[in-house]
Amino acid sequence: MHTVITLLANDLGPSLKSGLGSIGYGLAAIGPGIGIGMIVGNSVQAMARQPEMSGTVRTTMFLGIAFAEALALIGFVLTFI
Amino acid sequence: MIVASLLPNINELFDWRSLAGGDTLLAFNKTALMAFVSTAICIAIFWTGSRKQALVPTGIQNVAEMGYDMIEENVSVAAMGEEGKGWTPYFATLFFWIFFINIWSIIPGIQFPATARIAIPLILALLSWATFIGVGLIRQGPAYFWNSINPPGVPIALKFLVVPIEFFSKFLMRPFSLAVRLFANMTAGHLILTIFAIMTNELLIVHSSGLYQVIFAPLPFLGLVAFTGFEVLVAVLQAYIFTILTAVYVSESMHAEH
Amino acid sequence: MRIRRLLVVALIVGVSSAAMSSVAGASGTVEEDRACVEKVADAKQTPDGEFYKALDNCRKAKSLIVPAVSEMLWGGLAFLIVAGVLMKFAFPSLRKGIKAREEKIRSDLEGAEQSRIEAEAERSRYEAQIGDARSEANGIIEEARRDADRVRKDLLAKAESDSAEVRQRANEDLQLARDRALSDVQQQVTDISIGLAEKIVEHNLDPATQQALVESYINSVDR
Repeated sequence: MHTVITLLANDLGPSLKSGLGSIGYGLAAIGPGIGIGMIVGNSVQAMARQPEMSGTVRTTMFLGIAFAEALALIGFVLTFI
Repeated sequence: MIVASLLPNINELFDWRSLAGGDTLLAFNKTALMAFVSTAICIAIFWTGSRKQALVPTGIQNVAEMGYDMIEENVSVAAMGEEGKGWTPYFATLFFWIFFINIWSIIPGIQFPATARIAIPLILALLSWATFIGVGLIRQGPAYFWNSINPPGVPIALKFLVVPIEFFSKFLMRPFSLAVRLFANMTAGHLILTIFAIMTNELLIVHSSGLYQVIFAPLPFLGLVAFTGFEVLVAVLQAYIFTILTAVYVSESMHAEH
Repeated sequence: MRIRRLLVVALIVGVSSAAMSSVAGASGTVEEDRACVEKVADAKQTPDGEFYKALDNCRKAKSLIVPAVSEMLWGGLAFLIVAGVLMKFAFPSLRKGIKAREEKIRSDLEGAEQSRIEAEAERSRYEAQIGDARSEANGIIEEARRDADRVRKDLLAKAESDSAEVRQRANEDLQLARDRALSDVQQQVTDISIGLAEKIVEHNLDPATQQALVESYINSVDR
């Protein structure tokens, strides 16, 4: 029994681990995905309302996206560790 | 599952044989070669563009001037205001070098962005990191470190929480996210293109005896075409984001928050 | 337009089909593969767990997020070269060219503005002159018209007075002629009447009564 489990663990280990990593990345991407969508949506609204401010809004938008995306990036990197 | 078993070992996609220098610290492989070719392309374009200054720009001069103007308008001035104009050469170099490295991901026969190796985004991010810290030290002196992790208007009680967070996000997270953003986007793009290419290859050529394969082979091929177009967008966008984030960080270090 | 679109599609198709051909190609070094095979072959002698572990380790990809130092060195060197060359040589002259062009365009625009203002001034001067000339001409015409009016009125008045004079004179002549004719007729009638009456009443009346009769008759005729 013990040897079977060890065998299974040894055999399935790598693929199981990478599968879990993928799931982790998927979970990690949910929040930033929603956040980036909200950032971009509201920025588009702001740009449509005040086109003369679109330069500032765009810069701030990219900054916000960068902050939100950092979380997803951590998840992405974790799949490789 | 089938695709997973078809995929080559990930080393075959990203780890390149050393062309010269053996396996030492100076191993010169395809990634390094691409970096140097991109350098050569950048220098060629902007050198030729800046040599003969015709009054009415044509050809390469036009391209070079438009690129420079675009960076000045959309990166330097947008992120730093008028004082950013002096920084335009650095940002233009950054943008075009990253762009020419990224765009290799769709050039036939090469099809690999050197930025899909963490090394190159990392060195660029470290450079940007050193740049914005250096600018902060020059502009504000040693007080820069305390100014930047101690945002004004925070109650004393919260400072114990805010200061470590600011330190983490400013001095550790920034270079990490700069590097990983570029690397992850280009790696993911390369993987997607690879997967579609392998699927098309399997369906169309390796298993061409089955009718289903012949019928379904165009689907991944269309995906390949679409994502190749998408990769152009990603290449430009990631170069732009890297550059504008660097600009924003540098601009932030120039002035202490009040 | 259609041709251009077709060309773009053809380009993308060509690019992506070339992508298929270049999927495989890179890999670890041959020595690495050989070492791996040897390691697995050695592990075969040991119990199963060891074998799988060896196989797993051998197949394990190099971690993608561990940077290769050599690539960092070469990449950094390449970037420093491009940054140095571009920032030292290319961009300054590029910027100088752009500045020079901006300067030229600005000075051209300013010159154009200047000459436009001058032309505007010239035009307004000419317009003022034209306005003067026109008002002068108007004055002249007005004067001429006034003169003509006066002359016309004079002529009319003169003609009127002339004609009135002529009529007056004619009337007077007429009166005169009538008076004369009347007095002639009176005389003749008197004479004839006298002669007639003489003949008729020659025998009956004395001259004094005759005279009275005739006179009363003439008076009645005269009335």
